[in-house]
Amino acid sequence: MSGDAPAIEASGLTKRYGEVLAVDDFTFSVGRGEVVGFLGPNGAGKTTTMRMLTGFVPPTDGTATIAGHDIFADPLAARRAVGYLPESPPLYPEMSVEGYLRYVATIKDVPRRVRREAVDRSLERCGLVEVRRRVIGALSKGFRQRVGLAQAIVHDPPVLILDEPTVGLDPIQIQEIRSLMADFAAPGEGETPRAVILSTHILPEVEAICRRVILIHQGRKVIDQPLSELIAGGQSLEEVFGRETSRDISAGAEGAMENAP
Amino acid sequence: MRHVGTVAGREIRSLFVSPVAYVVLTLWAVLAGFFFLSNLIAFQTELVRMQQFGAFDMVRTVNLNDHLIMPFMGSMWIILIFAIPGVTMGLFASEKANGTQELLLTSPLTIWEIVLGKFLAGAVFVLLMTAVVAFFPGILFVYGDPELGKTLSGLLGLLLVSLTYVAVGAFASSVTSNQLIAFFLAFGVLLLFLMMPFIAELGATRGALGQEATAADLMRWLSTGSHFEQLLRGLVDTADLGYFAFVIGTFILLSKAAIESVRWR
Ligand SMILES: Nc1ncnc2c1ncn2[C@@H]1O[C@H](COP(=O)(O)OP(=O)(O)OP(=O)(O)O)[C@@H](O)[C@H]1O
Ligand SMILES: [Mg+2]
Repeated sequence: MSGDAPAIEASGLTKRYGEVLAVDDFTFSVGRGEVVGFLGPNGAGKTTTMRMLTGFVPPTDGTATIAGHDIFADPLAARRAVGYLPESPPLYPEMSVEGYLRYVATIKDVPRRVRREAVDRSLERCGLVEVRRRVIGALSKGFRQRVGLAQAIVHDPPVLILDEPTVGLDPIQIQEIRSLMADFAAPGEGETPRAVILSTHILPEVEAICRRVILIHQGRKVIDQPLSELIAGGQSLEEVFGRETSRDISAGAEGAMENAP
Repeated sequence: MRHVGTVAGREIRSLFVSPVAYVVLTLWAVLAGFFFLSNLIAFQTELVRMQQFGAFDMVRTVNLNDHLIMPFMGSMWIILIFAIPGVTMGLFASEKANGTQELLLTSPLTIWEIVLGKFLAGAVFVLLMTAVVAFFPGILFVYGDPELGKTLSGLLGLLLVSLTYVAVGAFASSVTSNQLIAFFLAFGVLLLFLMMPFIAELGATRGALGQEATAADLMRWLSTGSHFEQLLRGLVDTADLGYFAFVIGTFILLSKAAIESVRWR
């Protein structure tokens, strides 16, 4: 029963680009109601992991299930269950905000009779009501980012995957987006909780909204802990981040150390 | 397959807010008018000359279809080689450049829905182009009596050639994120298709293609021109229709493979 399955269950996810091992044997799971932060330096493999979960690139090895649907066995159902904001928002500059969201709702299989409602709700949630008829190409960067976010939630998916969602937003909007993510994961009575994964380089953002942190370094998971435990000893997230990512843990580096005199 | 129309609808709307669609359609209509007029003038001059020389037997054999509509549609065919790559260059390339490919491929769409949707959008556009061309022989039906069957079969030929070019152009657009490269790649492939019979001729006379002329025959068969000519003459043969279906199908399959390969790189 997919309703009881964890929102995301990844096992042994691996992605190789030629010689580059972008993600290496990555296993984790995310439950409903959780907001998980993906942390890691540039090139750590955050985007690649998200792309595998969303079906944009297939893993070289390993697999994952989204809301109980295997990304290989039932790719359409898995993709239907995900809302995804890529690193650069996937927008058609010539479309109006509203027209674009209606299009996305259609290809995400939102039934025709509730499509209008779905578009209105996501416009409202992302603060886009005033610009709904504007052409996307004429919007400021921050507003385009909001349209990208609106696109990710328009079909009300059980799993939300956001790649650096607050880039380019003003402080007030960042606050709103953060509370949106929190509401999305743990909504009011009667609504089913959802799962959110976001990648970010802003550590205070993680402290503000994530209950759990997954730190990725050179394609590997080095930390997977509730935030409260991670900073329990009085150490700051910066300190943990700095310590964990200063070590070279790549396969090549290990070999080099073993061979060293 | 229910999202083929969704993908096509968005593409057509985008095509019509961009200048490309209007530039191509306007140029197409202007050139059609120009070639129709010049063929009409040539037709009249020919008639007058024949009458002057008292060649009344020949005058009787002269008809609107063979001496006006056919050369007119033949001219429009050549323009297609420039016009269609302009229409199709953005089909897939712009999705890659915008990053919207990531949206398409992470949505519950099948690759077939994406590829056929794009092709359908191009098909609707060339249907419009064919309608523009149809307008001119249409005038002749008011003032003269061309054969309807022959005219319609010629228009069908023009449409099939256009659809073939859309398939080629879609493929060119699927292998790059640069629209200019997509344009010239499509143009190059279409030019090659156009020159195939000449290359075959050259090879056959030089004997470079071997004793059996199978290679030359194959090249002649592959070129669009001979099949189009049959239709222009009013000969609707399943072999020619099969040719168009074969080439369109091949290039749609190639586009699908190219889009799919994004996943497997
Ligand atoms: N399409 C690709 N082809 C080849 N290598 C790639 C490709 N995409 C990513 N990589 C490599 O995979 C590794 C992980 O990249 P990824 O984009 O996942 O990192 P990231 O954690 O998202 O970094 P950032 O914080 O800069 O966004 C990098 O070494 C990158 O060069
Ligand atoms: Mg990234």
